[in-house]
Amino acid sequence: MIRLLLCLSLLGLFGCESEKVLSFHVGGTAEELHIWEEIIQDFTKQNGIKVEMLRSTSQTEQRKQSLMVSLRGGKSDPDVMLVDVAWIAQMAASNWLAPLDTNIVSPSPFFASIIQLADHYNQQLIGVPIYVDGGILYYRKDLLEKYGFDAPPTTWAELIQMSEKVMKGERKSDPDFWGYVWQGAQYEGLICNALETFSSAGGGFFDSLGKPVVNSSENREALKTMVGMIQDSKISPPNTYTTMKEDEVRLQFQNGSALFERNWPYAASLHASEGSAVKNRFGMAPLPHFNGHESASTLGGWHAAVSRFSDQKEEALHFVNYISSFEVQKKLTLRMGYNPGRPDVYEDPEVQKKNPELIELKSIFKNAIPRPMVPYYSNVSQILQKHLNAALAGTTSPDDALSQAQSEVQAVVNEFSH
Amino acid sequence: MLDSHQSQLSENKIRSIKRYNSNDLVTAILFLSPVILFVSILIVFPVIGTGITSLYRDVSYLPKSFLGLDNYKALIFSPDFRASLVFTLIFTLFAVACETVLGLLFALLLNEEFRGRNVLRVVILIPWAIPTIVSAKVWKLIFEYSYGILNVIICGLGLSDEKINWLGTGVTSFWALLLAEVWKTTPFMILILLAGLQAIPRDLTMQARMDGAKPIRRLFTITLPLLRPVLLIALIFRTVDTLRIFDLVFVLTGGGPGGSTKTLSLLGYEFFGNDRFGMGSAISMITFLIALAITLLYLKVGGFAKQLGVKQ
Repeated sequence: MIRLLLCLSLLGLFGCESEKVLSFHVGGTAEELHIWEEIIQDFTKQNGIKVEMLRSTSQTEQRKQSLMVSLRGGKSDPDVMLVDVAWIAQMAASNWLAPLDTNIVSPSPFFASIIQLADHYNQQLIGVPIYVDGGILYYRKDLLEKYGFDAPPTTWAELIQMSEKVMKGERKSDPDFWGYVWQGAQYEGLICNALETFSSAGGGFFDSLGKPVVNSSENREALKTMVGMIQDSKISPPNTYTTMKEDEVRLQFQNGSALFERNWPYAASLHASEGSAVKNRFGMAPLPHFNGHESASTLGGWHAAVSRFSDQKEEALHFVNYISSFEVQKKLTLRMGYNPGRPDVYEDPEVQKKNPELIELKSIFKNAIPRPMVPYYSNVSQILQKHLNAALAGTTSPDDALSQAQSEVQAVVNEFSH
Repeated sequence: MLDSHQSQLSENKIRSIKRYNSNDLVTAILFLSPVILFVSILIVFPVIGTGITSLYRDVSYLPKSFLGLDNYKALIFSPDFRASLVFTLIFTLFAVACETVLGLLFALLLNEEFRGRNVLRVVILIPWAIPTIVSAKVWKLIFEYSYGILNVIICGLGLSDEKINWLGTGVTSFWALLLAEVWKTTPFMILILLAGLQAIPRDLTMQARMDGAKPIRRLFTITLPLLRPVLLIALIFRTVDTLRIFDLVFVLTGGGPGGSTKTLSLLGYEFFGNDRFGMGSAISMITFLIALAITLLYLKVGGFAKQLGVKQ
């Protein structure tokens, strides 16, 4: 018996060595992984290259950690991986990503601004967008109509006004009705919301030269507006800064207990699903802005990249090319509701028929702004999360929060940029 | 009486070890070697490794460089670290105190004979048997602002006109965390103390009762002194565990609002997540040293070392 086991395990060892297999690190729900499995099988059929899927969870933080373990150790697996746009700078600066040969993977079919802002490091192409994301405003069409508004708000002042009026009426029947729900808990989502509001006042976290400008007057005005929604006009609930993450916000809106919602596009299909209280009653629009400025949307999403430690870079490039092709991107859109990284898929009549909201989304993604593309971004984010959350909770004034954040971010920049 | 008796015993033991010949010693070392090997691989080497990492700047996008004690210095001067240290220590003090008092009360109760005792013994263990992640999620639903059951009850009873944002301020989230932690870990205390109580010979308490000692007197002069070694073990376990608390805080408050409930482990986790392994290791080392110091303090104050026959 033991001898048999020994033979089998030896066989297994040699079996693995004799055949090269490309490994692909991807995470997601069981359904998502199932579709990836199909795509991999099609690829193997067409190209004869075997691909093994390294399954990760749907939790972004865990996906990052599991990738970091292999990359820090310089492992040759995974060869290809999906990475969050927020990590690209750190991974590239750590010299973990192989430059993509533009003769095989052409950058031209993708959103030009995204490729330019997020997928280049030292003028080299290091990734391509597989799935793009951006913050949008969901609104209740029926309620706006009922209270005599003919269009969703374009400025934050309008959003507050509309919320106050509708809340006054709706509170009579639903005491838990709120004007505007958004992500304010102490986590990365808060930074996405803050970047949108700050940018829509002409502010931001860094200037074009990479200097931190966290306590600019534009940011102060924007943060005061965010705090005011919770503390003064009270159009946003107090749990905005404790428990409100994507899904908490989505449920509040989906239960019919909010007029406006800031969320990612994934919420759309859930809002429209059977059993949703807002089915056929909601619309989507760009987020509001301050007077004299433009609306902004934080770029999110997943990009395909090749590990520098990969021992099959050529095959890896072909695989990246395949999963970012028109056919596969169309399939991901139709089957999973992914927002493709290439604009041509948005023009496809079949796609437009299935997901009509993509037409609106395309123009939002075109101008989506990435979070600061610096390798030490996660440190910056952590500092901002703490101070912005304290301001929302009312324990620090917006001015103090921003000036403290500014000096701490400056310290991180001094420590980590050489 | 008891102390001197025990130390007499252990001195005899030490003398008997000396009598072993070299053959026996080799055998003894052979038998011990698996334990020594496991302890080294699983505990000693990782601790040394963490200690070494904590002396470096270990960030993937910068060259690795030796810093000496700079990471520790940076931590001591960082207001975040100090706030986190103070929070962790205060939380540990409150949590362990509550658990000990409650645990002792329940253990004494369950040590008495009454109908339904066995059922109660099982029921009381349930909070401890539930994975922390699950119970933390449940507590989060309970404390939730808009639909949490706690606010529903409080408003329903008319105790407060407005809903309370339990996880929204540093003070209320401290109490929320404390409640969840004590609820979860008191059963552990009960379990250990109950075992200790059952090891106390019935004759002793019977004798005291015949001599006319009242229950309170019996508790303080017989039960508690005899329970001391077990109590110490339970205290050490709970204190070290609470110092490292992570999962409950991670789920319930995430360290918020505004970083006011960030424990040492959570802070260390953030450093590791930000790819700053040197700083993360430094925090782990500090936590380790605090836990070690507290354990030694317990042993010293509790006179436990003497009972084990260790020369002080």
